[in-house]
Amino acid sequence: MEQAVAPTQARSLPPFTKRLLQWSFAVGIIPPVALVAALATKSGYLLDYVHVICGGTWTGFDLYTGLVLSRILRSLEVPARVEVSKRLTPTTFFIIPSLAATAIVSGIYLAISLGKFNLGDPWIMAAGVVVVILTAQGFGVFLPNGLRVFLELAKTKPDVALISKLTMRNVRLAASQAVFQVIIILIMAHLAVY
Amino acid sequence: MNLGALTATFLLAGALLVVFGLVYRVAVRSHARGELSYDGIRLLRWALAGQLAIFVVLGITAFLT
Repeated sequence: MEQAVAPTQARSLPPFTKRLLQWSFAVGIIPPVALVAALATKSGYLLDYVHVICGGTWTGFDLYTGLVLSRILRSLEVPARVEVSKRLTPTTFFIIPSLAATAIVSGIYLAISLGKFNLGDPWIMAAGVVVVILTAQGFGVFLPNGLRVFLELAKTKPDVALISKLTMRNVRLAASQAVFQVIIILIMAHLAVY
Repeated sequence: MNLGALTATFLLAGALLVVFGLVYRVAVRSHARGELSYDGIRLLRWALAGQLAIFVVLGITAFLT
């Protein structure tokens, strides 16, 4: 009977990690390129489209993660959660920050072009506060957690409990981001109508 | 050129570099202890390059307004 051989050196990342990261980058680079195209062609229509689709997709992802995926993950055993995390983290690594950044930047350009970017306006101020909160969460929690998951995956003995904890933290945070995004859409609707 | 947009892009890219720098330091130590494969370090570099590429494209928009 063959004996299992203990690993003598640090193991490699799962083979799908690189592929999923490449896919994430290929999709994630599209929104900023579309924004460049909108501004280069001075198309208000395209600028509006880029802002709405990026903001809507970002919000939709967070709502889906917070309301649907979080419930599914909670019902799974830790090893199954880790398997989901191994694939979810690289797939969303570039796409979500890119959607978020493009939605925010295009929103500012759009507000400027419509003559509504008045920092004294309480609705613009409210939008700014929400954007700062969302950005702080992204840079302060989502990004470092995602990176820490990658590092655990590349370790000789990945801490599956830590991977599960970091993933669930991100999922819960996505739910809070969804709430802030629903609030910012309320602000956007007001700015668009009044 | 929109100086405000360019400054904001630099600030966000700076924040990104700080976060990556902190995680990278931990990763290098783990690698030195033999806990982390070189793949992990390489992946971090690629991840940083990808995020910076997105910021560079966003930075270009500052020159278009």
